[in-house]
Amino acid sequence: MKVLSPQARRVTTQVSAVARPKTLDSLRIGLLDNTKAPVDRIMAHLARRLADRAAGVSTRYVSKLKTSIPAGPAIMADLRRDCDVLITALGD
Amino acid sequence: MLLVSTQFAALAANQCKVLGMPALPRVVLPHPIGGTPLESVLAKVDDAFEQIVAGLTTPLPAEEAADAADVADAEAQPGIDIAGEDPFMQVQEEFVARGWGDGLPLVPPTETRVRQMIAGSGWPGGHVVGAVMPRMGLASIEKIAVNAVMAGCRPMHMPLLVTAVQAMIDPDFFLKSIQATTHPVSPLMIVGGPLAQSLGVHGGSGMYGPGPWSNGVLGRALRLILINIGGGRPVEVDRSTQGSPAKYTYCIAENEAASPWPPLRADHGFGDEVSTVMLYAGESPHNINDAESTSAGSLIAAIAQSMAQIGQNNVKGTSQLLLVLSPEHAATIAAGGYTKDDVRRAIYEEARIPLSRFPAIHVERRLARFAPKRYKDRPLSTMVTLTSCWEDVIVMVAGGPGKHSSYLPSFGAVRSQIRPVLKPDGEPWLAQDVPAQDTRYHPDKEQT
Repeated sequence: MKVLSPQARRVTTQVSAVARPKTLDSLRIGLLDNTKAPVDRIMAHLARRLADRAAGVSTRYVSKLKTSIPAGPAIMADLRRDCDVLITALGD
Repeated sequence: MLLVSTQFAALAANQCKVLGMPALPRVVLPHPIGGTPLESVLAKVDDAFEQIVAGLTTPLPAEEAADAADVADAEAQPGIDIAGEDPFMQVQEEFVARGWGDGLPLVPPTETRVRQMIAGSGWPGGHVVGAVMPRMGLASIEKIAVNAVMAGCRPMHMPLLVTAVQAMIDPDFFLKSIQATTHPVSPLMIVGGPLAQSLGVHGGSGMYGPGPWSNGVLGRALRLILINIGGGRPVEVDRSTQGSPAKYTYCIAENEAASPWPPLRADHGFGDEVSTVMLYAGESPHNINDAESTSAGSLIAAIAQSMAQIGQNNVKGTSQLLLVLSPEHAATIAAGGYTKDDVRRAIYEEARIPLSRFPAIHVERRLARFAPKRYKDRPLSTMVTLTSCWEDVIVMVAGGPGKHSSYLPSFGAVRSQIRPVLKPDGEPWLAQDVPAQDTRYHPDKEQT
């Protein structure tokens, strides 16, 4: 007896990564809060630590508007415009 | 880069792969993070700080730029040849070993059964309905049919199942979130119209189950599609903290005949002959018992107060909610002159919770943070609503005799979806298009 697989091929996505900066100096770092507790406080802590770590580091904190859905194109467009790299969180 | 706790590292890796960023730097912090003293959380961040800096400044390994060749891996497996003395039991073992099931016995999806199932849809097997999140598996008619066979469906069920998948993949349903959340949410499949009766989808007594009608296999097929095509494997991707019995199967019909109001499909503009499938992202049903109220006002008050619980996600005000009234409760309310919209407005107005019932940290961190205009620095008498507007209160009628209704909170900003059950030519599937119902056993017959 032959039985068929219930799994399926999936849509393929390929994202090209930007080159990573070699140093934190003068880096514009986005901090995207996924709204889970207490990521807002983790990001605030990271902002202080990163600013202390290297010269000219700037951070931009943004929170998703709703926990259950993605940040949305407007937030992501702002982050793309204003930041060189992004730190975000996933899960609880 | 991503911050993630140990318990969510596998989900993060899965999503990075699906999104085409397998080498995205991830820094794993020891779980738990939420619900623990802030000092201990920040200490974990400090311990990982050098990893975070390295993640931002270290060139990515070559695999980031590598192709996505692994997508053609075992995921498109052609099937399995089963040999042996007891093929049925061997199928169970092989499928369990591959993580392809829900823990219950599965009907072996042989080529013949799948071919018959495809024929029931009216579509060619290769027709792709869409991609099921979060794995972005392509839900072709053939793959829907394989899962339908496994769940115990019959070919006549395919139009409903295909319609459910069409609804489920709508971007506003945010299936990715539903599949991966720690919340015990599951898509409830609500069938309305003439096909519900002709296909044996039950909306009377005990419609949530169990029962020998079509509800069980339809809801189960949808769950198997979520697992096998959508990748929502429990623990690995489905991170529900406790799971839910509603994640095995969750399908009902609206009891249109016993409702004093127009059905859901009429609310959405569908005509009498058009059957529909609605998907609502809900928790398991919360029972509401009221055998005492004889007036609409008293009953609505009892229902609203039963719904007003602080631990539900609806207090964030971004979700819809579903109230499933029993026919007798609906009759009592309708006798008071209430239309369905009146009930929706009344529930919106009365199912509220004063800030004083929430622990202070809930007010500060859960309510005021996300809705500062409504809840920040407000008196403790301020009322918290369960939805942002009365239109997000969904009311339907189902069930049989008795004084029990049910409330199904939702989990987030996902929007329920309703679709007409259509043939490939765009015409509605009608009752006469499907095989006559087997009436040798039917629960309504038992009651009469």
